Amino acid sequence: MKRCLPILIVAVILAFSQLASSQEDMTVIAPDAFGKLTRPAATFVHDQHNEKAGVEDCVLCHHGGSDGVQDPESSTEGIPCADCHAVQPDKGTTGLSKAYHLQCISCHEQSGKGPLACGQCHVR
Amino acid sequence: MNTIYEFVTGPLAWLTWTAFFAGCAWRLASMYKLAKSKDTSSIAFMSWKYSLRSIAHWVTPFATLGWRKNPALTVATFLFHVLIFAVPIFLTAHVMLWDQFFGISFPAIPDPIGDYLTIVVIALCVFFAVRRLQDPNVRYITKKADWIALAIVFAPFMTGFLAFRQILDYDTMIILHILAGEIMLVAIPWTRLSHMVFAVFTRSYMGSEFGGVRHARDW
Ligand code: HEC
Ligand code: HEC
Ligand code: HEC
Ligand code: HEC
Repeated sequence: MKRCLPILIVAVILAFSQLASSQEDMTVIAPDAFGKLTRPAATFVHDQHNEKAGVEDCVLCHHGGSDGVQDPESSTEGIPCADCHAVQPDKGTTGLSKAYHLQCISCHEQSGKGPLACGQCHVR
Repeated sequence: MNTIYEFVTGPLAWLTWTAFFAGCAWRLASMYKLAKSKDTSSIAFMSWKYSLRSIAHWVTPFATLGWRKNPALTVATFLFHVLIFAVPIFLTAHVMLWDQFFGISFPAIPDPIGDYLTIVVIALCVFFAVRRLQDPNVRYITKKADWIALAIVFAPFMTGFLAFRQILDYDTMIILHILAGEIMLVAIPWTRLSHMVFAVFTRSYMGSEFGGVRHARDW
């Protein structure tokens, strides 16, 4: 056990740095769930976007929820939207591209800044 | 950009829909009033049977002598009219916007096909323009109003094509595209595009007069 602990700590640190680096490196959103995208992948430089937009609270985008009820309190950063939002949604739930569009565009509308039209996000 | 975009997709869009529906209703009502005061007998001889018979013939490709006389023009005309309705309504991007703004969803034309059909509409506009210039018979009866009508329909398709391909400045093009669509809707009741609302009645009038009064065919 004693010898395992350092390895475990290193593993945890690695896991977290892996998480951190992956969102730091993120410049576009292109989830595998869609298969081949029909539009150019949406521009989204994760950390720079949130810094510029002044959003510090991860849960603003990474909410939780289950069984058709959203939980705006429980944070789920690192879990892909596609885990909870199906490309072909059941009735009464939000499909994957609608989930992105609704979340991204409604905040841009409210803040009066950020892209609203298709080609401003799906840049060719 | 956001202020302009929200203005043209918000208040201006509502104004456009209102002007479009009110304009169509107004034109129909005033035309009915005019017919009633100037041509009472025509209202008396209007017949469902002959109206529908005439409409059925004229909406069927090649079912009339007129359509058979010029096959190329007939194909172009039918294709054009189907596409200028189908493309704006069923285009993927527009289907997503129907959902975003009105909460209604229905199947869409995939992007690459929509792109291709848009090119077809643009080509057909060019075809009609060339025909107006080249054919002496058509050139003789072509008025400024015909060019205005053609340009009003051409504009939203051309700007839509350029915006989708992101040719030239996208932010400008998407605003121009929305404005062009709004101009088209507002212009329908007041330009030669008003045949969109009047065509069934003109056809019914002709059908009824030929069928019920002259006992002849109008196709
Ligand atoms: C403006 C919305 C927004 C905010 C705020 C936000 N994220 Fe994200 N984040 C996203 C989106 C969108 C994705 C992509 C998820 C997907 O496509 O499934 C993502 C992905 C991630 C990923 C996975 C990266 C990868 O490459 O898979 C991590 C980790 C993450 N975010 C962490 C965070 C943390 C930590 C915070 C708070 C400091 C945060 N996010 C705030 C929108 C946001
Ligand atoms: C742990 C599961 C889960 C994850 C992960 C998740 N969501 Fe959700 N989300 C839900 C549930 C449950 C609902 C409510 C039911 C519905 O609308 O589908 C919801 C609702 C929404 C809604 C509709 C809100 C409304 O006001 O109608 C949007 C938009 C949305 N999610 C966007 C996203 C985005 C974008 C991501 C990824 C950054 C994401 N969600 C990640 C579970 C999740
Ligand atoms: C909580 C609010 C919020 C959410 C959610 C949000 N944005 Fe933004 N976004 C902003 C703001 C504010 C700006 C303007 C930042 C500035 O330029 O000052 C912005 C700007 C942008 C820009 C322009 C970036 C630049 O460098 O100019 C892009 C692209 C963008 N957002 C994409 C997205 C996408 C994609 C999503 C959904 C995954 C999203 N945003 C969700 C608030 C948000
Ligand atoms: C605020 C940014 C934003 C705007 C504006 C936006 N989208 Fe998206 N869109 C996204 C994100 C994020 C995704 C999910 C990840 C991806 O596909 O890049 C997405 C996904 C999609 C998808 C599914 C994935 C694919 O490529 O097949 C389609 C289709 C799409 N968007 C079309 C549109 C259309 C059409 C418009 C305009 C009516 C539009 N989007 C406006 C951000 C945006």
